[in-house]
Amino acid sequence: MAEAIKQIRKEIPTPEQEQSQAISEIIAALASNREAIISTIGIIKHLQEMGVLDALNGLLEKRVDVGAIALQQFNQPGMHNIIKNGMNTFKFLSQLNPDELQILLNGVTRGLEKLGERIDRNDKISLWQLGNSMRNDEIRTSLFTMLGLLEGMGEVFQRDKRDLH
Amino acid sequence: MKETSFSIQINGQEFAAHSDQTILEVAQANESYIPSICFHPNLGTIQTCDTCFVNVDGEMVRACATKVQPGMNVDTNSKVVKDAQYEAMSRILKNHELYCTVCDNNNGNCVVHNTAEYLEIEHQKYQFEAKPYPPDHSHPFYRYEPDQCILCGRCVEACQDLQVNETLTIDWNREKPRVIWDNDVPIDESSCVSCGHCVTVCPCNALMEKSMLGEAGYLTKIPPKILEPMIDLTKEVEPGYKEIFAISEMEAAMRKARIKRTKTVCTYCGVGCSFEVWTKDRKILKIEPQEHAPVNGISTCVKGKWGWDYVNSEERLTKPLIRKGNEFVEATWDEALKLIASKLTGIKEQYGPDSIGYIASSKCSNEENFLFQKFARAIMGTNNVDNCSRYCQSPATAALLRTVGIGGDSGTIRDIEKSELIIVIGANPAESHPVLATRIKRAHKLHGQKLIVADLRENELAERANLFIHPKPSTDLIWISAVTKYILDQGWEDQEFLKNRVNGLDDYIQSLNKYTLDYAEKATGLSKEEMIQVATMLHESKTACVLWAMGVTQHKGATDTSTAIANLLLITGNFGRPGTGAYPLRGHNNVQGACDFGTMPAWLPGYEPIQDDKVRKRYEEAWGVTLPKDPGLDNHQMLEGVKEGKLKALYLFGEEMALVDSNVNFVDSMLEKLEFFVVQDVFFSKTAQFADVVLPASPSLEKDGTFVNTERRIQRFYKVLEPLGDSKPDWMIFQELANLLGANWNYQHPSEIMDEAASLAKYFAGVSYDRLEGFNSQIWPVAKDGTDSPLLYEKRFVFPDGKARLVPVDWTPPFEAGDEYDLHLNNGRLLEHFHEGNMTYRSEGLTHKVPHPWLEISPELAKERGVEDGSLVRLSSPYGQVKVRAIVTDRVIGKELYLTMNTREDVEAVNRLTSSYHDLITHTPNYKEMGVKMEVLEQKGEPPLPKVNHRFGNRMPQISVRVEEKWKRDDFTPITELFEIGGDQYGGSNQAN
Repeated sequence: MAEAIKQIRKEIPTPEQEQSQAISEIIAALASNREAIISTIGIIKHLQEMGVLDALNGLLEKRVDVGAIALQQFNQPGMHNIIKNGMNTFKFLSQLNPDELQILLNGVTRGLEKLGERIDRNDKISLWQLGNSMRNDEIRTSLFTMLGLLEGMGEVFQRDKRDLH
Repeated sequence: MKETSFSIQINGQEFAAHSDQTILEVAQANESYIPSICFHPNLGTIQTCDTCFVNVDGEMVRACATKVQPGMNVDTNSKVVKDAQYEAMSRILKNHELYCTVCDNNNGNCVVHNTAEYLEIEHQKYQFEAKPYPPDHSHPFYRYEPDQCILCGRCVEACQDLQVNETLTIDWNREKPRVIWDNDVPIDESSCVSCGHCVTVCPCNALMEKSMLGEAGYLTKIPPKILEPMIDLTKEVEPGYKEIFAISEMEAAMRKARIKRTKTVCTYCGVGCSFEVWTKDRKILKIEPQEHAPVNGISTCVKGKWGWDYVNSEERLTKPLIRKGNEFVEATWDEALKLIASKLTGIKEQYGPDSIGYIASSKCSNEENFLFQKFARAIMGTNNVDNCSRYCQSPATAALLRTVGIGGDSGTIRDIEKSELIIVIGANPAESHPVLATRIKRAHKLHGQKLIVADLRENELAERANLFIHPKPSTDLIWISAVTKYILDQGWEDQEFLKNRVNGLDDYIQSLNKYTLDYAEKATGLSKEEMIQVATMLHESKTACVLWAMGVTQHKGATDTSTAIANLLLITGNFGRPGTGAYPLRGHNNVQGACDFGTMPAWLPGYEPIQDDKVRKRYEEAWGVTLPKDPGLDNHQMLEGVKEGKLKALYLFGEEMALVDSNVNFVDSMLEKLEFFVVQDVFFSKTAQFADVVLPASPSLEKDGTFVNTERRIQRFYKVLEPLGDSKPDWMIFQELANLLGANWNYQHPSEIMDEAASLAKYFAGVSYDRLEGFNSQIWPVAKDGTDSPLLYEKRFVFPDGKARLVPVDWTPPFEAGDEYDLHLNNGRLLEHFHEGNMTYRSEGLTHKVPHPWLEISPELAKERGVEDGSLVRLSSPYGQVKVRAIVTDRVIGKELYLTMNTREDVEAVNRLTSSYHDLITHTPNYKEMGVKMEVLEQKGEPPLPKVNHRFGNRMPQISVRVEEKWKRDDFTPITELFEIGGDQYGGSNQAN
């Protein structure tokens, strides 16, 4: 005879048993990862000394608030411009031919030196002299090159205009 | 049927096509990509998204809606096509914000994401506009977010024409269209049956499983306070979507590291739906059906899609329990198994091997059933092994074995789909086999399939049927025979078929003499006209299938009624052709497989008789033992055996016998009498309360194996999770116990058990785990080379001369409870719970939808007895009584009651009322034959079904999504108007014809 019964005596581990079980699992994991753990402790120690952990702790504890503040700051027109400009600049740089840029930048460097010299001299210059400087080979080369830049820019400006229609 | 084949060109490349294909289908079959957001292979053409526009010989057309023609030239690449597709996609993105990286649907399979990416959408052409509706979170399992809804109508198509529940529509007439449920009510209060079709087909995150939200992504749990500004910021500064997609793709790839996708087979009915389970550790994120799943495609029902919480239930058994005095005490496996081994050995030695019975589980795998019968026969030396098909479909199996030769469905769900006429007798597939029912509902709604339903209750299929007939309880054999006789009298029988393929016609015709329409009219209460109409509809249909279930098989004359069905099909030639056949719908996921793999007292695996010396010898040689020759006891006889003192011990696994066997009053007292009782289950069931040892088993998600569905289709399921606690897969438990008893088994994996079964049973000769890999399946009989048999009897019936047998049968009057029991009690399953609910009640959402069983009472009876929704009544039969609350409904009529079986409480359990009478041939209990009397205990009370149940909803039937209404809107400009093709500008080729 076996009547229907519902009573089940469950071996429910005491909190102490559960704890000691957990501890032994942790110790086993520590022991099998000895070197990694010891180096990590070293890193943590340095971070603690520098006060980084404190700061991180504060940041994590208040992550939602901090995140909201940060995003609020990011979400400003000025910041949008910075990010967009940043991305555009990246795009711009990625399209440049490094060799051409090298030549241009060398030219700019030399130009800046000349510029410095002239600022130092603080010469007054007449319109006549300015006209005469066109005879200078270097200046003519530079101006001609600049015209190329202007032409290219013009092409893009006009294309964009067409796109609008 | 494939139409004539020819070829067409897509972008200059030649592809084979046939005339019933669309351009899109040809492209997809050849891996040529055409964007298509609203098209889904299981749904067909919807035409809402317009992303599939292509240029066909100079004309812009939708690839999804244009049938191919010989020599067609399709261009999917030119600028005008790209521009048109870009325009369509831009319109979609007006309705959908792309924040993919922080979206839980970003799992690599988001159609909107992938299409936008393919079309190289760079910027929002039209500003995204939120819709003026809040998200709907009312339903326990899924949410609708209108702001993300692109109005593609896939969900509506799925609900209207695939599931055919007809709940969802798009209201195109409001200023901002949206998907609505019924007449725009919260989802939870609608007629939604929670089948999940809409969520599965949603091409974005508008309809999402709640279990995914905040869980699937790495960044999706971010609180809204941060998330919203993050989305704003991203959108503000985005260089273009390309970069966003790059990041979201990376994130999607990372998700694969922690979201596991495993194929499984559903365990909630015999249809055999298969799908992926997505898990993160032990958390089930969602069920993801796949369009290539052989039975169901993307279809599921409420239990299959959402009902898996039980796997992680706190109440799971995780340690063996041993009865000590008046309580169970936790034990180790070693203790429990040694105790079982010594007790079983002792009883066997003292009373003989036949003093122990073994009850197998139709919920467990083929391999487990095979091993269990091997354990009973080879190790314990008895054929006393049976399974729960004894409670349901044994009569159908017996009837088919004696008429056509194989005890299973004649064909597959495809045959049911394509048949011209479906006759459903005593079955409620819309609730008990929901996905199978969807195929009937779809064929009936869209493709002109005719439907006849014979039932006591006006169930959903009955509501939809062309003809619903309501015979008196237990009289099916009479009207079926009368219809058969009428067909013969009219000369409508299939004479050619009968002459060539059937034996016993003359005797059978003789036996029908008494089944005149007059007699049948009196006996069944059906009118002659109704019976003539059934006969006429059969006569006018080239193909017909009969589907039946417990309404036929749980009667005293069940095998004979099932035989009458087979006879009718034989007379009308409805076997052996596509779209024909007999379909006893298997109730549990593996009722078919449990029987197929030998947990039956008279049959070895593959229906080979244990008494056949040659067959037995084959097994004896393989197993190195002598097997008992005589058939053993079935479930019913085992309990009788206890009563007579012959049966002393029982070993039962995965079966809730103390609730689901009939007349549980008797069952309980027999279980109490056992000397030793082992119960192996996932939960501490009612049956386990009687046990001496309870063993914790692992459910399907925690093991590998195969099931056989109602179609005879064998499908693999894979381990999703590790067994919980100390629980173990059933097959491992059997092996450990067998080895304690000296068996020396060494199965490392269920595939090895299947290999053994395949080597012994000829029906499974070509079955192997390799051939069943993934979503592949095999339908037995499977020849050695792997050829399977979706449709039976095409050339021969399974008898030595290849001919079917007409078997004369007689009507068995039902059990009568006596005059004082004036009401007829019908009973059965319901959509939301599986049987008594041991698994499904562990789901909060399912319990929210259906918290209690209920008693259906007809309006006329309710009025007479003063019963209303929520009244508490007591039902008494000669065997026991229950107390349940009532629902008044015209699904039942007159003095016929219907009590659902979803309870684990003794006081509500229908089987307190049923008797131990049974089918004369198979001993299946006559659950459906009981008279009760009713007392009203409380007139007022809380109705047992909450208002948030689909049964109170208000369906909105229509065909598809009514895209024409979208096209009529003032703000809609056809894409073709924007992108007209002038002259030969884009035509490309110049065809000389």
